Amino acid sequence: MINASRQLSRRRFLGNFAFASAAIAAGPGSWVIRPDWANAAEGPIRLGIATDLTGSLGFAGNTDANVARMLVKEVNDSGGLLGRPIELLIEDTASDESVAVGNVRKLIQRDKVDLVLGGISSSMRNAIKDVIISRGKTLYIYPEGYEGKECTPYLFCTGPVPAQNCDQFIPWLIKNGGKRFALPGSNYVWPQTINAYARKVIESSGGEVIFEEYYPLDQIDFSSTVSRIISNKVDVVFNAIVPPGVSPFFKQLYQAGFSKNGGRLGCVYYDENFLEMNQAHEIEGLASSLDYYKVLAAEDPVSARIQSAYDKQFPAKFRFSAGSAATGTYRGLKLWEAAVKEAGTIDRDAVAAALDHAKIAEGPGGPAEMAPGKRHCRMNMYIGVAKGGQYEIVARSAGLVDPKEC
Amino acid sequence: MSSTGTGIQPPPRVIEAARSPVMASAFAGRKKVLPILELALLIAAAIAPLVLRDYITVYATRVLILCLFALSFDLVWGYAGILSLGQSLFFGMAGYGVALLSRDFGLGSIFAVLPAGTLIGFVAALLLAGFLLLGRHPSSVVFVSLGTMTGAYAADRLARGSHYLGGQNGIPSIQPMTIGSHELSEGPSFYYLVLAILVLIYLLSRFLLRSQFGLALAGLRENEQRIAFFGYKVQHLKAIIFAISGAIAGTAGSLYAFHEGFVWTNMLGVVMSTQVVLYVLFGGSGTLIGAVIGTAIVEGLSFWLSDNYRDIWPIILGVLLLLVILFRPLGLISLVLGERERVGSFGPSLKEKRNAAP
Amino acid sequence: MDTLLIATFEILSFGAIVVLVVLGLGIIASMMGIFNFAQGEFVLLGAYVTYLVHSVGLPVPLGMLAAPIAVGALGFVLEKLVVRRFYTAPVVAMLGTYALGLIIREAVRGLTGGLYLSVPEPISGSITIGSLHFATWRGVIVIITLLVMAASHALLAYTSFGLRVRASLENPSLARASGISTGMIYSVTFAFGAALAGLAGALIVPVFSLFADLGIRFLIQGFVAVMVGGLGSFAGPVAGASVIGTFSAWLPWLMSPVIADVLVFVLAIIFIKFRPQGLVSGRGVNR
Repeated sequence: MINASRQLSRRRFLGNFAFASAAIAAGPGSWVIRPDWANAAEGPIRLGIATDLTGSLGFAGNTDANVARMLVKEVNDSGGLLGRPIELLIEDTASDESVAVGNVRKLIQRDKVDLVLGGISSSMRNAIKDVIISRGKTLYIYPEGYEGKECTPYLFCTGPVPAQNCDQFIPWLIKNGGKRFALPGSNYVWPQTINAYARKVIESSGGEVIFEEYYPLDQIDFSSTVSRIISNKVDVVFNAIVPPGVSPFFKQLYQAGFSKNGGRLGCVYYDENFLEMNQAHEIEGLASSLDYYKVLAAEDPVSARIQSAYDKQFPAKFRFSAGSAATGTYRGLKLWEAAVKEAGTIDRDAVAAALDHAKIAEGPGGPAEMAPGKRHCRMNMYIGVAKGGQYEIVARSAGLVDPKEC
Repeated sequence: MSSTGTGIQPPPRVIEAARSPVMASAFAGRKKVLPILELALLIAAAIAPLVLRDYITVYATRVLILCLFALSFDLVWGYAGILSLGQSLFFGMAGYGVALLSRDFGLGSIFAVLPAGTLIGFVAALLLAGFLLLGRHPSSVVFVSLGTMTGAYAADRLARGSHYLGGQNGIPSIQPMTIGSHELSEGPSFYYLVLAILVLIYLLSRFLLRSQFGLALAGLRENEQRIAFFGYKVQHLKAIIFAISGAIAGTAGSLYAFHEGFVWTNMLGVVMSTQVVLYVLFGGSGTLIGAVIGTAIVEGLSFWLSDNYRDIWPIILGVLLLLVILFRPLGLISLVLGERERVGSFGPSLKEKRNAAP
Repeated sequence: MDTLLIATFEILSFGAIVVLVVLGLGIIASMMGIFNFAQGEFVLLGAYVTYLVHSVGLPVPLGMLAAPIAVGALGFVLEKLVVRRFYTAPVVAMLGTYALGLIIREAVRGLTGGLYLSVPEPISGSITIGSLHFATWRGVIVIITLLVMAASHALLAYTSFGLRVRASLENPSLARASGISTGMIYSVTFAFGAALAGLAGALIVPVFSLFADLGIRFLIQGFVAVMVGGLGSFAGPVAGASVIGTFSAWLPWLMSPVIADVLVFVLAIIFIKFRPQGLVSGRGVNR
């Protein structure tokens, strides 16, 4: 009796196993958005987006995927690129590097895309860049603002870097805050690199760094830091602590009376998404330095057009903002489109050569152009101050700011 | 369930049933399933690259490396009853070690890096075992598991803070491994290399566990006090198997570093450790092959789920794992293997015993 | 002197939070012999319920009242359905509750959209004594923690229900033989542990924001605290949590926070190695 039932379940088990492995081998479809029309001769141009659709960076990744959808539809509706439609393939990097590598391999080896755009955190970029560039021999565009120093060939960065965040911002902070700076940051590469650059600018602008300190990412109690800031009479806190620690830090700083006594908070990456993390009065007067703010729509018709097109197509949950690499994605795809048009082909080296000096006249926040030979992007930078839970633009760069990388 | 006592709590086993004479006759003359299963899987693994597409072969190579890692965990948990929640410590340390060798010294030859990784894992495990297991009072299961988990957690945090180790970004762009002058890049050749190593280590482990040492380990798992009374140095046994499993985890870690081309702090952390525990639990501990099957199934499921149920696949995975834990705590392998094959038989088989009895 | 006072207050309030989270964990571990790997996610759920109540416009204190009740009820249901199968195999319990925690965490992540959400404090502002500012809400947390602890202790020590609970803890078979329904006691205890975690989550969500990975941080800290404190008694987890919480908050004043973070755990492990029964050794659950 027992024998029979065991044999039955064994057969069933092996059968299920075989079915599952067959399904895996066949490769079920991932997220593909096929164009409405086709170019019979050459087939579509394949664009791969590898971004965090799930996991802790999901709020940013979904925004970037939406921007890609919006742009691809625009391009396809106006005749495609080089007469060919663009096919969009989206893979989830899941805020997890080991999953990401597997999924990006699908884009490269199975789907054979002509370009990969994506990655949000620097560790994600590091994880997938080899798969794309060296093993996959494909172009890679990285859209998020980061710490700089990425000079790999065929890797183009379209987000702001420390020079762009700091060069205009720090003098403004000194004028509108004071000379004594504190540099608290989360303990990883971006805060350390941007603080190193910020320190140079602070000191050459006549300011003084009182202390620089780093904390584990999930530290939530900052009493010792706040105490040091108050007792050392720091004027400006140039914050590089990231979520989840940033919200309790700002709250504790406020409760200790920092802004009430005239202190100024500066945090370069703080966009509209982050404004929700604290109560409005806790971050009143906070200044950030980004390449785009939503309120720009009031003064720049191009930004207004882009913002409203996005808002119409996509639900309010995933906002078009600078911190989620949405602006970098827009810029990156538009610059690539211009480069492909100039090169006249989709061949990697030709496109890379054209992308090296590509320019666009219309982008969120203004025009943009790649700095030749540097693979980084020049863009307009703005300084926004939080007032009553909204941003107000208090300074604009006098033209495109140079990234000063590589 | 005293957490401070000396008893260990192995996973529930139904051993008594096999001892009753009625049951014994039902089992007598049964074909052994385990060797058939092992052979079938080996053949399937050997021909897989020929039928699967390129990128899936690459994915399968990664799964094989994780199978090796899971094997190391099964050795300590399934056979010695040590719940090591920090296996990723050895996996990650070896990975970082060989990544540094490649970055700072340009060493990429397989004859240098694999032994180096294995050695790193071995030494780290030996040191940790020395602290956790040896001493006047025998350590409880909970303490050992907590101690190993803390080790992995501490290593993860320290690596995150170290600029030399690349911090949170890890060490990217590791040069490919070389055999002589031939560069080993991902694809069928790497696959077969990993498969060969996996089979080799599998056979070595089998050999080890069927020996006297393995017999003592089985006794250790079943009743630690009794084995101690027999004169076996229990803590030394544990330390040895722990160090061996650390060495295997180290081998897996160095292969992983070169295959993925990049190491980062998650390789050291608690999430990776728990992952490997789940693989073995899913497949079934105490059989070696269960670890392999469990890894393959869980990884395959994740791959498939993330494609089709993009938004909710972590939840589905969690539910599946929960169901297996609830209804098949011995793992999926229990659907196929009988109890005696799980525990492993030592000494003369039932048939010989029956023939020998008057 | 000023700094010392502020430091003491901050350290105390942080310690109180850790105590609330760990108390439930310790009670479950002492009583049923299993480590609940989903305790962090119960904290997350408490925070989420509070946020939900706030987001529909109801006052935050109502959410803070609802959270322990909701999470406790969920804990009760989970115990009856899932957890009670694990009592014979504590290791499987750890992994089973880990799977449960994974499901809860990913569900909350889906519901919050992966964002960081903020909840205002019911009583905001700070009390100023001289030149020192003490955040009012953190003081409230300390007071509520003390009250909850006192109430729990009174419940265990002075009521007949508490008597039955203690009996089941010390000698389950004899308790069953005496007619005490141990099954129901276990369910209620698990629910109580979950409710404590839910309360902790509700109280701390104004201090930190709500995000899906909130619970992970408390997991390891919780286990180490329970082991340091010792199992088998009420005072054990409290002592352990106080020590761990205090050290975690105090060491960053003395050294780099990165090192301080790791040092607490390493020291704790060394301590447990040489004193396995922890700070307060109780009779525990000996079977």
